[in-house]
Amino acid sequence: MKILAGLDVGHVNTKAILMKGQEILGYSTVPTGYDVVAAAQTALRHALDTVGVSRGGLAGIVTTGIFRERMKEPPLDITRTVADYVADAKGASFLSRNSRTVIDIGGNIQKAIRYDQNGNTLDVIQNDKCADGLGIFYTTMAKAIGISEQEMSELALQSTQKVSVAIHCAASAESEAIDLMCQGIDIADVAEAISRFIAERVAAMCTTMSLEKEIVVAGGLAKSKALMKHLPSLIEQDVSILSFPEYVGAIGAVMSY
Amino acid sequence: MSGDASTNKRLDWTRAEVIVAGVDIGAVSSKAVILLDGQPCAFSQVTTRRPKESSFKAITAALAKTPLKLEDIHHVVATGRGRTQVPFARKTITEIVCGAAGAVHIWGPTVRTVLDAGGQSCKVIHCTEKGRATAFLWNDKCAAGIGRSIETFADLVKKELTEIGNIALQTDQFSKLSDFCAVYAQSEALDLIRSKVPLEQVVAAYHYAMAKRISTLVARSGVKKDFVIIGGLAKNPGIIGWVEGILKVSRLANKPEWDPQFIVALGAALIADAFYRQQQ
Amino acid sequence: MMKEGPDTIIERFHSISENPQEYAKSRQGKGQLLAGYMCTHVPEEILYAAGIIPVRILSSHVSQAMTRSYMHETYCSFSHDCAYQGLAHNYDFLDLIVTSSSCIHMGEAFNVWVRFAGFQEKSFLIPYPHIIETKPAAAFMAASFEEFKQFLEKFVKKSITDGDIERAIRVCNQTRRLLKRLWEFLRSESSPITGPEVATVTLASQLMDKEEYNPMLEQLIQSLEVEPGKAPSGVRLMVTGGACDDPGIFDLIEHLNYSAKLIFIDSCTATRYFWFEVPENRSDKLQAIAEGYIRRIPCPAKDNVPGTGEKKRFRFIQQFIEEFRPDGVVFLYQRFCSPQPMDVVALKPILDKLGIPSTELELDTTVPITQFRTQLEALVEVIKGVTP
Repeated sequence: MKILAGLDVGHVNTKAILMKGQEILGYSTVPTGYDVVAAAQTALRHALDTVGVSRGGLAGIVTTGIFRERMKEPPLDITRTVADYVADAKGASFLSRNSRTVIDIGGNIQKAIRYDQNGNTLDVIQNDKCADGLGIFYTTMAKAIGISEQEMSELALQSTQKVSVAIHCAASAESEAIDLMCQGIDIADVAEAISRFIAERVAAMCTTMSLEKEIVVAGGLAKSKALMKHLPSLIEQDVSILSFPEYVGAIGAVMSY
Repeated sequence: MSGDASTNKRLDWTRAEVIVAGVDIGAVSSKAVILLDGQPCAFSQVTTRRPKESSFKAITAALAKTPLKLEDIHHVVATGRGRTQVPFARKTITEIVCGAAGAVHIWGPTVRTVLDAGGQSCKVIHCTEKGRATAFLWNDKCAAGIGRSIETFADLVKKELTEIGNIALQTDQFSKLSDFCAVYAQSEALDLIRSKVPLEQVVAAYHYAMAKRISTLVARSGVKKDFVIIGGLAKNPGIIGWVEGILKVSRLANKPEWDPQFIVALGAALIADAFYRQQQ
Repeated sequence: MMKEGPDTIIERFHSISENPQEYAKSRQGKGQLLAGYMCTHVPEEILYAAGIIPVRILSSHVSQAMTRSYMHETYCSFSHDCAYQGLAHNYDFLDLIVTSSSCIHMGEAFNVWVRFAGFQEKSFLIPYPHIIETKPAAAFMAASFEEFKQFLEKFVKKSITDGDIERAIRVCNQTRRLLKRLWEFLRSESSPITGPEVATVTLASQLMDKEEYNPMLEQLIQSLEVEPGKAPSGVRLMVTGGACDDPGIFDLIEHLNYSAKLIFIDSCTATRYFWFEVPENRSDKLQAIAEGYIRRIPCPAKDNVPGTGEKKRFRFIQQFIEEFRPDGVVFLYQRFCSPQPMDVVALKPILDKLGIPSTELELDTTVPITQFRTQLEALVEVIKGVTP
C-alpha cells in the first residue's frame, strides 16, 4: 500500500501527516515562520523520522494551507495542491463519517465548511478581517501570562467570576485582558474571558451559513476545553471535537491524492 | 545600563541619606529604579505577568544587586498601568507625569514633547522646561498594542525583537499595508509572505504601517521641539526612523547610558525623592 | 405623607434606570401603550398626545458578537448593543419603535429591529433634517411631524387634538424645567447632590412616564433645597460627548486617587436631552415643537451652520464653562463614532485658549477601567500639579 504525505502549511504552523490507506502512521507540527519551504521540509522530515520512512518511500505529497502554492518550488516535489476548505471537508469527513459541517479554528483564519457524505464541499464561510489572528492572539496571551496554552485552558475552567473583554478584535481583547489583570482580577477569570471572546467571534461567523449536523470542530484551538465549552451554547448546536484536530487539513490533503 | 538588572557600584549606600525607588508596572514589562541621594544606583526589568507578583520581582531584582533590603527604601512611587497593584508603594503617580519628569531629567530643559511608545499604549506628553506635564494624548483603542504586535510579528517570522528593527531599515521598497490597525497589518503581512515578498520588505512594510499609526497620534497632539521618544519602541530603529520621517521632526538621540524603557520608572523615582525630601 | 429624603428618591430613580424593561412592563400592565425610541430627536410630545409613553432604548452592556452578522464591525458599540436588544427579544413587549433620521449607526440598529426583530408592522422612521439652521428646516420638520401624527392616529385609532398636543408640550416642558433646576445645584462648590447622582436621575427621565416622573423630581428638588451641601473638592470636571448610559464611568470620575467632582455633562443622555423648551400656547402646535427642537443644544451629527461652518454647540459649551467653571474637560464618545470625535478636533483649540486641559475616553460595551483611571488621574495631576 502506498504511503502518502499531507502537508498543511498554515499562517502559524505547518502540519505534516503520513498515511497508509486509512491508517495514520505519523505526524509533526513545526512553526511556519518566514521560510515556508524550509518549514514544510522540516515538518515532513520529522514525520518521516517518527515512522522510520525515507522521502523515497513516499508515493506522493499533497499540500494544502495558505502557503500551498509555495510548495511547488523544488526540492519538495509535491504531487498536487488542494484548497484548504476542500481538504478540511475531506479530512473531517474521513475522521467522522456522520459529520456534515466542520468549524476550523486556525491560527489566523477561521472557516466553516458544509459537505456531503463523501466530504465534497457544499458551502464555505470564513471570518471577516476584523476577526483575523484569533489563534495567534491566544498564543500571545498565554505567553504574556507566562503559561502554556494547555495551562491557559485549564485555568479558564477554574473561573468563578464572569468578566468580559472587548469583542471587536484580538488587539482590543488583549488590551482589555491586560487592563483586567491590572485591576487585580483573577487570571482564571481573564483566561475564561479570552476563551469566551474567541468562541463568540467564531459563533458570530457561523450565523452566516446554515450548519448541518453532525457538527465537528478542527484546528489547534479545538484542543482548548475552555473554548469548546462555550461554542455549543453560542451556536445553539452540539459539536464534537475531531481527533487529530490540527491535522484535519493535512489528512484531507492525503484524501485528495 | 541595560539588561535585566544592573547597579552603579561607585555609589556607597551606607552614606546615602535618601534612598528611594520608582516602579513602573507596564503592560509588557515591569521596571524598577533605585536612587541613592538622587543618583541612579540600581535598575531591573522583568516581564509583567500578574502585576502584583511582577512588582515584587522587579524590586527584588534591583535590590539583589545592592546590599539593600526593601525596608531600607524611604519612599516608593509606583506608576504604570499596574500601579495600584504594588503593595509596597507609598504613592502612585501616573506615567504621564513620571514620563515628563524622567525625560527632562535625562535630556534637559529643552524637551517639550515626549512620545512614550510602549508595549500596549502610546502617549504623547507635553511638558515644561521643569518636566511638568501640561497636556497629553492617549492612544485610541484601535492603536492599542502596537509594541506587542511587533513582538508577535517578530515571533511569526522567527526573528529576534532586537534585530527586527534593523531588518526594517534594510529597504525602502515595499508595498504599503493598512496603517490604521495592527490586526489588518499583521494579516496583510502574512499575505505578503505568501506572495514570496523578501523578508526585509515585509518587515519594513510592517514597521512603516505601525510607525504611521503612531505618527498620526503624535500629529493629532502636536509636536513641539525638542522631541524625545521613550518606551520600548524607542529601541526599535525601524519605528523611530519612520516616525521621524513621517512627522518630519527629529528627536533627540537616545542617551547611551539610559535604556529608554526605564525613563518612566526613573521619573517615578525622582518624584519619590522629591516627596520624601518635602516631608523632612 | 412622610417626606422622603433625597437619597431614597435618588435610589428609586436609580433602580428604575437599572431595570427599564421592568418599569415599562409595569406601565403596560396598567393598560398604557409603549413606544421605544432610539434617538432624542423623536418628538415625544406627539407620542404623549397619542397616549403612548416613550421609552428610550439604551444598552444592555452585554458583550456579544452576534450583531456583527447584521451590522458592520465599525459601527459604534452603542448601536450594536441597541440592535442586540431587539434580536435578543428584550423589548418584544413594546407596541411601537420609533426613530428620527440622525446618525447612520443608530439608523442601522433601527433597521435591524424592523427587519429581523419582528417590528416590521410596528415601526416608524421620522425624516429629520441634518442641517437644522436653515429656513426650510422648521417647515420640513413640521410636515414630517404631521405625517408621524397621522400614522399614530391610525395606530391608536383615535384622533390627536391640538389640546392633546398642548397638554403633552406642557408635561415635557415641565420635565425640562425641573431637570434644569436639578443641574443648577452643580454650579455650587458645595452641592447637596453629586454629578453621578444627577446623571442617574436624568437618565430615568428618558425611561419613565413623565407624568409620574415630574412629581418625583419635584419632591427631590424640594428636599435638596433644604439639604446641606457636600464638601467642596479641588478639581471640577466637565464631561462632553455622546450618549453614555454607564454610571460606572461617572462614578469613576468621583472615585479617583484624587478628589474630583463631576459638575456637568453635555450629552444626549444628559443636558442635551432637555436644555430647551417648546413654545407653549401657539396655534400651530407641530410648528412650535419644530421650533423648540431646533433650539436644542445640537448633536454633532446635526450641527453645521451653512455658509460659516460654525458649530452652535460650541456656544453652549462655552456658556456652560462660564457658568459651571470646570478645571478640566473629559471628552466621552463611542469608539467608531464619527461626529463626536470630529467635534473634538474643533473644540480642543477653544479649550486650549481657555487654558482648560482635557482627555478623551472612548466608550465601548466593555471599557479599560485602569486605563481610564490613569487618564483621569493624569488629567487631575496636570490640573493640580501634584508633584513637588
